Amino acid sequence: MRTTYTVLAYAIAVLIVVQAAAIAFALAGLGSWVQDGGVLDKALMENEEDVPGFVVGFIVHGMNGQLLIPLLALVLLVVSFFAKLDKGVALAAAVFGLVMVQVLLGMFSRGAELPLLGMVHGANALVLFTVVIVAARRARRVGESAAAQVAVSHRATV
Amino acid sequence: MRLSRRARTLAAVVAAGAVLGPVGWLWQDSLVLGSFSVMAAGEPDFGGGPAFDHHHGDRVVATVGEDPTRAPDVTVTVVARQERFRLPGGREVDGYTLNGTSPGPVIEARQGELVEVTLRNESVADGVTLHWHGIDVPNAADGVAGVTQDAVSPGDEFVYRFVAEQAGTYWYHSHQASHVQVPRGLFGAVVVRPSDVDDDATDVTDVTDVTDVTDVTDVTDVTDVTDIVALAHIFGGTRTVNGHAGDSPVAVEPGERVRVRVINTDNGPMAVWVSGSPFRVVAVDGTDVTEPGQVAGRAVLVTAGGRADLELTVPEGGARVELGGSAALVLGPPGPPTEPKPAATVDLLSYGRSAPLGFDPDAADRRFDYAIGRRLGFVRGLPGLWWSVNGQLYPDLPMFMVSEGDVVRVRISNDSGEVHPMHLHGHHMVVLARDDVAATGSPWWVDSLNVADGERYDVAFVADNPGVWMFHCHHLGHAADGFVAHLMYEGVTVPYRIGDGNEPE
Repeated sequence: MRTTYTVLAYAIAVLIVVQAAAIAFALAGLGSWVQDGGVLDKALMENEEDVPGFVVGFIVHGMNGQLLIPLLALVLLVVSFFAKLDKGVALAAAVFGLVMVQVLLGMFSRGAELPLLGMVHGANALVLFTVVIVAARRARRVGESAAAQVAVSHRATV
Repeated sequence: MRLSRRARTLAAVVAAGAVLGPVGWLWQDSLVLGSFSVMAAGEPDFGGGPAFDHHHGDRVVATVGEDPTRAPDVTVTVVARQERFRLPGGREVDGYTLNGTSPGPVIEARQGELVEVTLRNESVADGVTLHWHGIDVPNAADGVAGVTQDAVSPGDEFVYRFVAEQAGTYWYHSHQASHVQVPRGLFGAVVVRPSDVDDDATDVTDVTDVTDVTDVTDVTDVTDVTDIVALAHIFGGTRTVNGHAGDSPVAVEPGERVRVRVINTDNGPMAVWVSGSPFRVVAVDGTDVTEPGQVAGRAVLVTAGGRADLELTVPEGGARVELGGSAALVLGPPGPPTEPKPAATVDLLSYGRSAPLGFDPDAADRRFDYAIGRRLGFVRGLPGLWWSVNGQLYPDLPMFMVSEGDVVRVRISNDSGEVHPMHLHGHHMVVLARDDVAATGSPWWVDSLNVADGERYDVAFVADNPGVWMFHCHHLGHAADGFVAHLMYEGVTVPYRIGDGNEPE
């Protein structure tokens, strides 16, 4: 369970990196599209067929952020109950909570009124990344020291 | 406190159960198994009016049609095929055609004429239907798979009959797997011209036949108006107008009056403006605007599925009708530079002169709420952030119950974070107020209403067209995700089922 916890936490961290990469790609592609005379309006953004390449960045960011990461965060929370880690549940709950906040910020910053929330969305991503790395490293350290203890006790009995 | 190993495990199991239990229950509750009748889909909402038993009606939707003995005035056969094809502008598309092309043929009629369209499915594997978007057809001709008919399988055909009662700009499209079939080509324009207009005065100019329009340009009478269809659609990420990307020249002369019938067939709103000339918005969603004022330096927002007819006199230097900034009709000499999209938009709430509605919306028999939101949950077993109506997710969306003759008011509000083009089948709704500001302009009748995030609209209509009518978001992807409610008349019964080959969205 400890290993599962560690793997899940690192997996979420990797997906957060994918999030940053995908949105940067999407915005770079959008800039290049506009340079080439392209026009992005709501109708094109909502077009679901053969979209221009950069839109894939938005789609990956949306699917990953609204489905995959929340799902892994939920599984991490469940696993934390069984992993018997010091602060393991608290950190997993913090990750889950930050993911929920992040999803809501992402949704509402795109709404008509509050694009400034996007700044909080970007900053919260780094907070979330830090917390999930701390959770993963703590779990791994506990795993390593437990393994070392086992090795020590094993040597002692020989 | 030190718990025993067993107690700790038990606590962990209980905690995990507390997290997963509700999730699991919500998941199983969202599953829709097999096929179902639209009559049993959703939560009946009587809107404060008298309740009735809606499971037993005497009138079958398929029989709510035009007089079968009346001979049609306009007869069209439309053959649907699934194939790779070339747009009139040259681009190749893997999709669907109607009579070998997409967009399909422009169907033209005069007010009062009986239109009879035979749809033949030659090779669309998933089946196909035709919905007459914006035309208040009898229910039997509404073309919604699983609601008013079964999808037409390859080799089969279906006949639509309706009287074109209202002059205006409309369109038709498949309402079977519509989120796949419409983006890939199963649609076309419908133009209904007033019966009192002389034939020569309003030739429909299809810019796809630029060579053919020379004969309509020798207009001598300045009261003549040249009709131009501007059917906008995004194919493969590129906006086209009547199948052409970029600039589409239209052979009209300076001094000529033109009526440009803009139709948005996509999933999101499109801004339309004119470079080089003022214009008037003479009709919206197939209803003429009363005393439309001259517009300059403003754009018109045409929502997904919506239409706007713009009228202008071509200036000496020509004019450009900009469709979202990425496609344009060039009217006359290709002179005027492209103007950027104006920041201001024509507000239809106060545009034109106020006129009687023909009914009293304050004497409403039923008042409904249509509150659009978005929340975490499951739809058909899939987790996600889904569109909700009155707090409920598909399939528990409201079923608005009405009796024939009812005056119905609906308050549509949107707090979902995104814009939604709300489309009501079989009826036109009049906008009474937006964000509690009453409408003061020409009666603003719509069948497709752009409801932006944070907006509230009060609309009203008279329930004068018995049947079962979808009332849904015309972002067809949203509709496919379960954003579909419907209007259900007392005494009507539906023999068709959604599922088993009928997938309306």
